Amino acid sequence: MIDVKHLSKSFGDHLVLDDIDQHIYPGEVVVIIGPSGSGKSTFLRCLNLLETPTAGTITFEGREITDPKADIDRIRQGMGMVFQHFNLFPNMTVKKNITLAPVRTKLMTQAEADAAAMALLRRVGLEDKAEAYPNQLSGGQKQRIAIVRALAMKPKVMLFDEPTSALDPEMVGEVLEVMKELARDGMTMVVVTHEMGFAREVGSRVLFMDEGHILEENTPGELFGNPRSERLRSFLAKVL
Amino acid sequence: MDPVQAFETWKALMTSGGDVAWWQSVYVKFYQAFIQADRWKEYLEGTGVTLVATALALLMGVILGVLVAVIRTAHDQQRPGRRKSPVLGAFNAIFKVYVTVIRGTPMMLQLLIWAFVVFKSRQYTVVGIFGLGINSGAYVSEIIRGGLMAVDGGQMEAGRSLGLDYLDTMRFIVIPQAVKAILPSLGNEFIILLKDTSLLSMISGQELLYFAQAIGTRNYEQMFPLVGAACIYLLLVMIFTWLLGKLERRLRESDRR
Repeated sequence: MIDVKHLSKSFGDHLVLDDIDQHIYPGEVVVIIGPSGSGKSTFLRCLNLLETPTAGTITFEGREITDPKADIDRIRQGMGMVFQHFNLFPNMTVKKNITLAPVRTKLMTQAEADAAAMALLRRVGLEDKAEAYPNQLSGGQKQRIAIVRALAMKPKVMLFDEPTSALDPEMVGEVLEVMKELARDGMTMVVVTHEMGFAREVGSRVLFMDEGHILEENTPGELFGNPRSERLRSFLAKVL
Repeated sequence: MDPVQAFETWKALMTSGGDVAWWQSVYVKFYQAFIQADRWKEYLEGTGVTLVATALALLMGVILGVLVAVIRTAHDQQRPGRRKSPVLGAFNAIFKVYVTVIRGTPMMLQLLIWAFVVFKSRQYTVVGIFGLGINSGAYVSEIIRGGLMAVDGGQMEAGRSLGLDYLDTMRFIVIPQAVKAILPSLGNEFIILLKDTSLLSMISGQELLYFAQAIGTRNYEQMFPLVGAACIYLLLVMIFTWLLGKLERRLRESDRR
Protein backbone atom coordinates (compact mmCIF):
# COMPACT_ATOMS: atom_id res chain seq x y z
CA MET A 1 0.00 0.00 0.00
CA ILE A 2 2.78 2.41 0.94
CA ASP A 3 6.16 1.62 -0.49
CA VAL A 4 9.21 3.46 0.81
CA LYS A 5 12.51 3.15 -1.02
CA HIS A 6 15.88 4.57 0.01
CA LEU A 7 14.23 7.33 2.03
CA SER A 8 16.66 9.87 3.51
CA LYS A 9 15.94 13.12 5.24
CA SER A 10 18.35 15.64 6.65
CA PHE A 11 17.81 18.96 8.36
CA GLY A 12 20.89 20.92 7.38
CA ASP A 13 23.87 18.74 8.28
CA HIS A 14 21.85 16.56 10.58
CA LEU A 15 20.86 13.25 8.97
CA VAL A 16 17.54 12.22 10.55
CA LEU A 17 16.56 9.33 8.26
CA ASP A 18 19.24 7.25 6.61
CA ASP A 19 18.28 5.20 3.56
CA ILE A 20 15.10 3.57 4.84
CA ASP A 21 13.24 0.85 2.94
CA GLN A 22 9.85 -0.19 4.18
CA HIS A 23 6.53 -1.47 2.94
CA ILE A 24 3.15 -1.02 4.59
CA TYR A 25 0.59 -3.65 3.61
CA PRO A 26 -3.20 -3.10 3.57
CA GLY A 27 -4.88 -3.85 6.90
CA GLU A 28 -1.63 -3.74 8.85
CA VAL A 29 -1.17 -1.89 12.10
CA VAL A 30 2.48 -0.86 12.07
CA VAL A 31 3.71 0.54 15.36
CA ILE A 32 6.93 2.53 15.41
CA ILE A 33 8.81 2.78 18.70
CA GLY A 34 12.19 4.19 19.60
CA PRO A 35 13.92 6.84 21.69
CA SER A 36 13.19 10.50 20.99
CA GLY A 37 15.28 11.90 18.17
CA SER A 38 15.39 8.51 16.48
CA GLY A 39 13.54 9.85 13.43
CA LYS A 40 10.25 8.02 13.94
CA SER A 41 8.06 11.13 13.76
CA THR A 42 10.01 12.43 10.78
CA PHE A 43 9.52 9.09 9.04
CA LEU A 44 5.76 9.29 9.62
CA ARG A 45 5.62 12.91 8.47
CA CYS A 46 7.46 11.99 5.27
CA LEU A 47 4.72 9.49 4.42
CA ASN A 48 2.25 12.32 3.69
CA LEU A 49 4.93 14.80 2.73
CA LEU A 50 4.59 17.13 5.70
CA GLU A 51 8.35 16.74 5.53
CA THR A 52 9.93 16.67 2.09
CA PRO A 53 12.38 13.79 1.80
CA THR A 54 15.93 14.68 0.85
CA ALA A 55 16.28 11.51 -1.20
CA GLY A 56 14.35 8.37 -2.04
CA THR A 57 10.81 7.65 -3.23
CA ILE A 58 7.48 6.99 -1.54
CA THR A 59 4.70 5.33 -3.50
CA PHE A 60 1.11 5.28 -2.24
CA GLU A 61 -1.26 2.94 -4.07
CA GLY A 62 0.85 2.97 -7.20
CA ARG A 63 1.29 6.77 -7.31
CA GLU A 64 4.69 8.17 -6.56
CA ILE A 65 3.99 10.97 -4.10
CA THR A 66 7.59 12.20 -4.03
CA ASP A 67 7.25 13.12 -7.71
CA PRO A 68 7.26 16.96 -7.82
CA LYS A 69 4.33 16.84 -10.24
CA ALA A 70 2.18 14.66 -7.98
CA ASP A 71 -1.09 16.26 -6.81
CA ILE A 72 -0.23 16.23 -3.14
CA ASP A 73 -3.59 17.59 -1.92
CA ARG A 74 -5.33 14.74 -3.72
CA ILE A 75 -3.01 12.13 -2.24
CA ARG A 76 -3.35 13.51 1.28
CA GLN A 77 -7.11 13.13 1.05
CA GLY A 78 -6.51 9.38 1.17
CA MET A 79 -4.20 9.55 4.20
CA GLY A 80 -5.56 10.64 7.55
CA MET A 81 -3.19 12.15 10.08
CA VAL A 82 -3.56 12.58 13.84
CA PHE A 83 -1.15 14.86 15.67
CA GLN A 84 0.32 14.86 19.15
CA HIS A 85 -1.22 18.26 19.89
CA PHE A 86 -4.59 17.51 18.24
CA ASN A 87 -4.47 20.66 16.07
CA LEU A 88 -8.22 21.11 16.07
CA PHE A 89 -9.31 24.42 14.55
CA PRO A 90 -10.27 26.61 17.53
CA ASN A 91 -12.28 29.04 15.39
CA MET A 92 -14.87 26.41 14.41
CA THR A 93 -17.34 24.16 16.16
CA VAL A 94 -16.54 20.47 16.42
CA LYS A 95 -18.97 19.68 13.62
CA LYS A 96 -17.41 22.30 11.35
CA ASN A 97 -13.94 20.92 12.15
CA ILE A 98 -15.10 17.57 10.84
CA THR A 99 -17.10 18.69 7.80
CA LEU A 100 -14.81 21.44 6.45
CA ALA A 101 -12.44 19.21 4.48
CA PRO A 102 -14.99 16.75 3.00
CA VAL A 103 -17.13 19.66 1.79
CA ARG A 104 -14.31 21.86 0.46
CA THR A 105 -12.72 18.96 -1.42
CA LYS A 106 -16.15 18.12 -2.88
CA LEU A 107 -16.10 14.65 -1.37
CA MET A 108 -19.54 15.29 0.16
CA THR A 109 -22.26 17.92 0.21
CA GLN A 110 -22.72 19.82 3.47
CA ALA A 111 -25.77 17.71 4.34
CA GLU A 112 -23.93 14.43 3.70
CA ALA A 113 -20.93 15.64 5.66
CA ASP A 114 -23.14 16.72 8.59
CA ALA A 115 -24.75 13.28 8.67
CA ALA A 116 -21.37 11.55 8.43
CA ALA A 117 -19.98 13.75 11.19
CA MET A 118 -22.85 12.93 13.53
CA ALA A 119 -22.50 9.21 12.83
CA LEU A 120 -18.77 9.34 13.54
CA LEU A 121 -19.28 11.41 16.70
CA ARG A 122 -21.78 8.84 17.92
CA ARG A 123 -19.19 6.14 17.36
CA VAL A 124 -16.77 7.84 19.74
CA GLY A 125 -19.53 8.87 22.14
CA LEU A 126 -19.26 12.62 21.57
CA GLU A 127 -22.41 13.45 19.63
CA ASP A 128 -23.43 15.96 22.31
CA LYS A 129 -20.26 17.99 21.57
CA ALA A 130 -21.11 18.70 17.92
CA GLU A 131 -21.80 22.39 18.54
CA ALA A 132 -19.06 22.88 21.16
CA TYR A 133 -15.80 24.69 20.43
CA PRO A 134 -12.48 22.82 20.85
CA ASN A 135 -11.44 24.99 23.79
CA GLN A 136 -14.37 23.66 25.78
CA LEU A 137 -13.18 20.05 25.51
CA SER A 138 -10.73 17.91 27.46
CA GLY A 139 -7.57 16.61 25.83
CA GLY A 140 -8.99 13.12 25.38
CA GLN A 141 -12.13 14.49 23.78
CA LYS A 142 -10.08 16.71 21.49
CA GLN A 143 -7.98 13.81 20.31
CA ARG A 144 -11.01 11.59 19.68
CA ILE A 145 -12.48 14.40 17.59
CA ALA A 146 -9.20 14.82 15.72
CA ILE A 147 -9.40 11.12 14.85
CA VAL A 148 -12.99 11.52 13.70
CA ARG A 149 -12.03 14.56 11.63
CA ALA A 150 -9.42 12.50 9.79
CA LEU A 151 -11.84 9.60 9.34
CA ALA A 152 -14.45 11.87 7.75
CA MET A 153 -12.26 12.01 4.65
CA LYS A 154 -12.65 8.21 4.33
CA PRO A 155 -8.87 7.68 4.22
CA LYS A 156 -7.27 4.41 3.19
CA VAL A 157 -4.55 4.73 5.80
CA MET A 158 -4.31 6.55 9.13
CA LEU A 159 -1.06 8.03 10.42
CA PHE A 160 -0.79 8.65 14.17
CA ASP A 161 2.01 10.87 15.48
CA GLU A 162 2.30 10.19 19.23
CA PRO A 163 -1.48 10.60 19.68
CA THR A 164 -1.44 10.10 23.46
CA SER A 165 1.80 11.86 24.44
CA ALA A 166 0.15 15.19 25.25
CA LEU A 167 -2.71 13.67 27.26
CA ASP A 168 -3.27 13.40 30.98
CA PRO A 169 -2.73 9.76 31.99
CA GLU A 170 -6.41 9.13 32.75
CA MET A 171 -7.37 10.20 29.22
CA VAL A 172 -4.96 7.95 27.35
CA GLY A 173 -7.30 4.99 27.64
CA GLU A 174 -10.27 6.54 25.86
CA VAL A 175 -8.12 7.52 22.87
CA LEU A 176 -6.42 4.12 22.65
CA GLU A 177 -9.85 2.49 22.79
CA VAL A 178 -10.93 4.39 19.66
CA MET A 179 -7.71 3.39 17.92
CA LYS A 180 -8.14 -0.26 18.87
CA GLU A 181 -11.65 -0.27 17.48
CA LEU A 182 -10.35 1.26 14.28
CA ALA A 183 -7.74 -1.48 14.03
CA ARG A 184 -10.36 -4.16 14.62
CA ASP A 185 -12.38 -2.71 11.73
CA GLY A 186 -9.41 -3.36 9.46
CA MET A 187 -8.04 0.17 9.03
CA THR A 188 -4.43 0.34 7.84
CA MET A 189 -2.56 2.27 10.50
CA VAL A 190 0.95 3.56 11.09
CA VAL A 191 1.37 4.60 14.70
CA VAL A 192 4.29 6.35 16.37
CA THR A 193 3.83 5.85 20.09
CA HIS A 194 5.36 5.25 23.48
CA GLU A 195 2.41 3.05 24.51
CA MET A 196 4.08 -0.37 24.58
CA GLY A 197 0.85 -2.00 25.74
CA PHE A 198 -0.92 -0.74 22.64
CA ALA A 199 1.93 -1.94 20.41
CA ARG A 200 1.81 -5.38 21.97
CA GLU A 201 -1.96 -5.73 21.86
CA VAL A 202 -2.90 -4.17 18.52
CA GLY A 203 0.25 -4.02 16.42
CA SER A 204 0.64 -6.48 13.59
CA ARG A 205 4.25 -5.39 13.20
CA VAL A 206 6.53 -3.28 15.37
CA LEU A 207 9.45 -1.24 14.06
CA PHE A 208 12.22 -0.15 16.40
CA MET A 209 14.00 2.96 15.17
CA ASP A 210 17.25 4.45 16.38
CA GLU A 211 19.43 7.18 14.86
CA GLY A 212 17.61 7.22 11.54
CA HIS A 213 17.61 3.47 10.97
CA ILE A 214 15.03 0.76 11.47
CA LEU A 215 17.12 -1.44 13.74
CA GLU A 216 14.60 -4.22 14.24
CA GLU A 217 11.19 -5.14 12.97
CA ASN A 218 9.08 -8.06 14.03
CA THR A 219 5.74 -9.18 15.37
CA PRO A 220 5.06 -7.63 18.77
CA GLY A 221 5.47 -11.00 20.49
CA GLU A 222 8.90 -11.62 19.02
CA LEU A 223 10.14 -8.04 19.27
CA PHE A 224 9.20 -7.58 22.91
CA GLY A 225 9.77 -11.20 23.96
CA ASN A 226 12.96 -11.84 22.14
CA PRO A 227 14.82 -8.57 21.32
CA ARG A 228 17.91 -9.28 19.26
CA SER A 229 19.97 -6.08 19.43
CA GLU A 230 21.58 -4.71 22.54
CA ARG A 231 20.15 -1.28 21.71
CA LEU A 232 16.56 -2.56 21.74
CA ARG A 233 17.15 -4.54 24.95
CA SER A 234 18.38 -1.46 26.78
CA PHE A 235 15.52 0.66 25.34
CA LEU A 236 12.90 -1.84 26.46
CA ALA A 237 14.52 -2.16 29.87
CA LYS A 238 14.00 1.58 30.33
CA VAL A 239 10.42 1.90 29.08
CA LEU A 240 8.80 -1.32 30.27
CA MET B 1 -28.66 91.48 25.19
CA ASP B 2 -29.33 89.65 21.95
CA PRO B 3 -26.35 87.34 21.17
CA VAL B 4 -26.02 88.53 17.57
CA GLN B 5 -26.20 92.14 18.64
CA ALA B 6 -23.64 91.55 21.39
CA PHE B 7 -21.24 90.09 18.86
CA GLU B 8 -21.70 92.97 16.42
CA THR B 9 -21.20 95.61 19.13
CA TRP B 10 -18.14 94.08 20.77
CA LYS B 11 -16.58 93.14 17.46
CA ALA B 12 -16.87 96.74 16.25
CA LEU B 13 -15.40 97.90 19.53
CA MET B 14 -12.44 95.49 19.17
CA THR B 15 -11.62 96.43 15.54
CA SER B 16 -11.66 100.13 16.40
CA GLY B 17 -9.15 99.48 19.19
CA GLY B 18 -11.62 100.18 21.99
CA ASP B 19 -11.51 98.69 25.46
CA VAL B 20 -13.25 95.28 25.87
CA ALA B 21 -13.29 92.92 28.83
CA TRP B 22 -11.47 89.56 28.39
CA TRP B 23 -14.71 87.61 28.42
CA GLN B 24 -16.14 89.87 25.75
CA SER B 25 -13.16 89.16 23.49
CA VAL B 26 -13.49 85.41 24.16
CA TYR B 27 -17.14 85.63 23.21
CA VAL B 28 -16.37 87.44 19.97
CA LYS B 29 -13.64 84.97 18.98
CA PHE B 30 -15.79 81.98 19.81
CA TYR B 31 -18.76 83.42 17.95
CA GLN B 32 -16.84 84.18 14.78
CA ALA B 33 -15.07 80.79 14.85
CA PHE B 34 -18.15 78.62 15.23
CA ILE B 35 -21.46 80.46 14.94
CA GLN B 36 -21.15 83.37 12.54
CA ALA B 37 -22.39 82.49 9.02
CA ASP B 38 -23.27 78.97 10.24
CA ARG B 39 -19.61 78.03 10.37
CA TRP B 40 -20.30 75.01 12.56
CA LYS B 41 -21.67 73.42 9.42
CA GLU B 42 -18.20 73.62 7.91
CA TYR B 43 -16.72 71.74 10.87
CA LEU B 44 -19.47 69.15 10.51
CA GLU B 45 -18.81 68.79 6.80
CA GLY B 46 -15.08 68.49 7.47
CA THR B 47 -15.70 65.85 10.14
CA GLY B 48 -17.81 63.91 7.65
CA VAL B 49 -15.03 64.00 5.08
CA THR B 50 -12.52 62.96 7.77
CA LEU B 51 -14.62 59.92 8.69
CA VAL B 52 -15.23 58.91 5.07
CA ALA B 53 -11.53 59.36 4.26
CA THR B 54 -10.58 57.22 7.26
CA ALA B 55 -13.02 54.47 6.30
CA LEU B 56 -11.99 54.39 2.63
CA ALA B 57 -8.27 54.54 3.40
CA LEU B 58 -8.62 51.78 5.98
CA LEU B 59 -10.62 49.61 3.57
CA MET B 60 -7.97 50.09 0.93
CA GLY B 61 -5.23 49.48 3.49
CA VAL B 62 -6.79 46.24 4.70
CA ILE B 63 -7.39 44.87 1.21
CA LEU B 64 -3.87 45.80 0.16
CA GLY B 65 -2.48 44.58 3.47
CA VAL B 66 -4.13 41.14 3.24
CA LEU B 67 -2.94 40.73 -0.34
CA VAL B 68 0.65 41.69 0.45
CA ALA B 69 0.75 39.70 3.68
CA VAL B 70 -0.70 36.50 2.19
CA ILE B 71 1.60 36.57 -0.83
CA ARG B 72 4.68 37.33 1.24
CA THR B 73 3.80 34.59 3.74
CA ALA B 74 3.08 32.13 0.92
CA HIS B 75 6.46 32.95 -0.55
CA ASP B 76 8.23 32.40 2.77
CA GLN B 77 6.36 29.15 3.44
CA GLN B 78 7.20 27.38 0.19
CA ARG B 79 8.47 23.90 0.86
CA PRO B 80 12.22 23.73 0.92
CA GLY B 81 13.87 21.55 -1.69
CA ARG B 82 11.29 22.32 -4.33
CA ARG B 83 11.60 24.81 -7.15
CA LYS B 84 10.40 28.19 -5.92
CA SER B 85 7.53 29.75 -7.82
CA PRO B 86 8.92 32.63 -9.95
CA VAL B 87 5.56 34.46 -9.87
CA LEU B 88 5.50 34.46 -6.07
CA GLY B 89 9.15 35.50 -6.06
CA ALA B 90 8.45 38.49 -8.33
CA PHE B 91 5.45 39.66 -6.30
CA ASN B 92 7.35 39.15 -3.07
CA ALA B 93 10.19 41.34 -4.33
CA ILE B 94 7.78 44.07 -5.49
CA PHE B 95 5.89 44.05 -2.19
CA LYS B 96 9.09 44.16 -0.19
CA VAL B 97 10.14 47.32 -2.05
CA TYR B 98 6.65 48.76 -1.52
CA VAL B 99 6.72 48.20 2.23
CA THR B 100 10.29 49.50 2.54
CA VAL B 101 9.63 52.69 0.55
CA ILE B 102 6.31 53.50 2.24
CA ARG B 103 7.59 52.86 5.74
CA GLY B 104 10.89 54.59 5.02
CA THR B 105 9.54 57.97 3.84
CA PRO B 106 7.39 60.57 5.60
CA MET B 107 3.68 60.25 4.86
CA MET B 108 3.47 64.00 4.34
CA LEU B 109 6.02 63.76 1.56
CA GLN B 110 4.21 60.79 0.00
CA LEU B 111 1.00 62.81 -0.13
CA LEU B 112 2.77 65.77 -1.73
CA ILE B 113 4.30 63.47 -4.36
CA TRP B 114 0.95 61.80 -5.15
CA ALA B 115 -0.82 65.15 -5.44
CA PHE B 116 1.74 67.33 -7.20
CA VAL B 117 4.03 64.90 -9.04
CA VAL B 118 2.10 61.76 -9.94
CA PHE B 119 -1.53 62.74 -10.41
CA LYS B 120 -1.45 66.53 -10.73
CA SER B 121 -5.23 66.33 -10.38
CA ARG B 122 -7.50 68.85 -8.71
CA GLN B 123 -9.36 66.06 -6.91
CA TYR B 124 -7.11 66.61 -3.92
CA THR B 125 -9.34 64.84 -1.41
CA VAL B 126 -9.57 61.72 -3.59
CA VAL B 127 -5.84 61.72 -4.28
CA GLY B 128 -5.22 62.19 -0.57
CA ILE B 129 -7.40 59.24 0.39
CA PHE B 130 -5.60 57.13 -2.21
CA GLY B 131 -2.24 58.15 -0.76
CA LEU B 132 -3.39 57.35 2.77
CA GLY B 133 -4.70 53.94 1.67
CA ILE B 134 -1.40 53.07 -0.02
CA ASN B 135 0.45 54.17 3.10
CA SER B 136 -1.82 52.26 5.44
CA GLY B 137 -1.56 49.09 3.32
CA ALA B 138 2.16 48.83 4.06
CA TYR B 139 1.65 49.04 7.82
CA VAL B 140 -1.42 46.79 7.82
CA SER B 141 0.42 44.16 5.77
CA GLU B 142 3.12 43.94 8.43
CA ILE B 143 0.48 43.68 11.18
CA ILE B 144 -1.30 40.89 9.29
CA ARG B 145 1.95 39.12 8.44
CA GLY B 146 2.78 39.07 12.13
CA GLY B 147 -0.68 37.68 12.87
CA LEU B 148 -0.35 34.96 10.24
CA MET B 149 3.03 33.92 11.57
CA ALA B 150 1.69 33.84 15.12
CA VAL B 151 -0.89 31.16 14.26
CA ASP B 152 0.47 27.78 15.38
CA GLY B 153 2.13 25.92 12.51
CA GLY B 154 0.17 22.81 13.45
CA GLN B 155 -2.97 24.49 12.15
CA MET B 156 -1.56 24.73 8.65
CA GLU B 157 -0.27 21.14 8.88
CA ALA B 158 -3.64 19.87 10.05
CA GLY B 159 -5.46 21.64 7.23
CA ARG B 160 -3.05 20.40 4.59
CA SER B 161 -3.01 16.85 5.96
CA LEU B 162 -6.78 16.73 5.45
CA GLY B 163 -6.20 17.38 1.76
CA LEU B 164 -7.17 21.07 1.75
CA ASP B 165 -5.03 23.22 -0.53
CA TYR B 166 -2.93 26.13 0.69
CA LEU B 167 -5.46 28.85 -0.10
CA ASP B 168 -8.41 27.04 1.51
CA THR B 169 -6.35 26.38 4.63
CA MET B 170 -5.39 30.05 4.78
CA ARG B 171 -8.93 31.24 4.14
CA PHE B 172 -10.85 29.04 6.56
CA ILE B 173 -8.30 28.21 9.25
CA VAL B 174 -5.29 30.52 9.47
CA ILE B 175 -6.67 33.95 8.48
CA PRO B 176 -9.71 33.88 10.82
CA GLN B 177 -7.45 33.06 13.74
CA ALA B 178 -4.91 35.69 12.71
CA VAL B 179 -7.60 38.39 12.40
CA LYS B 180 -8.75 37.80 15.93
CA ALA B 181 -5.20 38.03 17.22
CA ILE B 182 -4.41 41.27 15.41
CA LEU B 183 -7.68 43.10 16.06
CA PRO B 184 -6.16 45.33 18.78
CA SER B 185 -3.28 46.36 16.49
CA LEU B 186 -5.69 46.91 13.62
CA GLY B 187 -7.85 49.11 15.85
CA ASN B 188 -4.77 51.07 16.76
CA GLU B 189 -3.95 51.51 13.08
CA PHE B 190 -7.50 52.77 12.52
CA ILE B 191 -7.08 55.44 15.19
CA ILE B 192 -3.71 56.51 13.83
CA LEU B 193 -5.27 56.71 10.37
CA LEU B 194 -8.14 58.83 11.67
CA LYS B 195 -5.69 61.41 12.96
CA ASP B 196 -3.43 61.16 9.92
CA THR B 197 -6.26 62.23 7.62
CA SER B 198 -5.47 65.73 8.91
CA LEU B 199 -2.43 65.66 6.61
CA LEU B 200 -4.82 65.88 3.67
CA SER B 201 -5.24 69.57 4.50
CA MET B 202 -1.65 70.09 3.32
CA ILE B 203 -2.68 69.16 -0.22
CA SER B 204 -6.00 71.03 0.03
CA GLY B 205 -8.01 67.93 0.86
CA GLN B 206 -11.18 69.33 2.36
CA GLU B 207 -11.35 67.60 5.70
CA LEU B 208 -11.77 68.90 9.23
CA LEU B 209 -8.41 70.61 9.70
CA TYR B 210 -8.69 72.25 6.27
CA PHE B 211 -11.92 74.01 7.25
CA ALA B 212 -10.59 74.94 10.68
CA GLN B 213 -7.52 76.56 9.16
CA ALA B 214 -9.57 78.35 6.51
CA ILE B 215 -11.84 79.83 9.16
CA GLY B 216 -8.85 80.83 11.24
CA THR B 217 -7.29 82.60 8.30
CA ARG B 218 -10.52 84.44 7.50
CA ASN B 219 -10.83 85.73 11.07
CA TYR B 220 -7.13 86.34 11.74
CA GLU B 221 -7.67 84.19 14.82
CA GLN B 222 -6.35 80.60 14.83
CA MET B 223 -6.75 79.48 18.43
CA PHE B 224 -10.46 78.81 18.56
CA PRO B 225 -10.78 76.94 15.23
CA LEU B 226 -7.67 74.82 15.88
CA VAL B 227 -8.53 73.93 19.46
CA GLY B 228 -12.10 73.25 18.29
CA ALA B 229 -10.81 70.84 15.63
CA ALA B 230 -8.56 69.17 18.21
CA CYS B 231 -11.57 68.62 20.47
CA ILE B 232 -13.47 66.97 17.63
CA TYR B 233 -10.56 64.62 16.84
CA LEU B 234 -10.22 63.77 20.51
CA LEU B 235 -13.93 63.06 20.82
CA LEU B 236 -13.90 60.81 17.73
CA VAL B 237 -10.87 58.87 18.97
CA MET B 238 -12.46 58.37 22.37
CA ILE B 239 -15.69 57.08 20.81
CA PHE B 240 -13.84 54.63 18.54
CA THR B 241 -11.55 53.44 21.33
CA TRP B 242 -14.62 52.62 23.38
CA LEU B 243 -16.30 50.82 20.46
CA LEU B 244 -13.16 48.79 19.71
CA GLY B 245 -12.93 47.75 23.34
CA LYS B 246 -16.49 46.49 23.19
CA LEU B 247 -15.80 44.56 19.98
CA GLU B 248 -12.73 42.91 21.50
CA ARG B 249 -14.64 41.81 24.58
CA ARG B 250 -17.31 40.40 22.27
CA LEU B 251 -14.77 38.36 20.30
CA ARG B 252 -13.13 37.04 23.45
CA GLU B 253 -16.42 35.59 24.62
CA SER B 254 -16.02 32.60 22.28
CA ASP B 255 -12.78 31.75 24.08
CA ARG B 256 -14.47 31.23 27.41
CA ARG B 257 -14.31 27.71 28.62
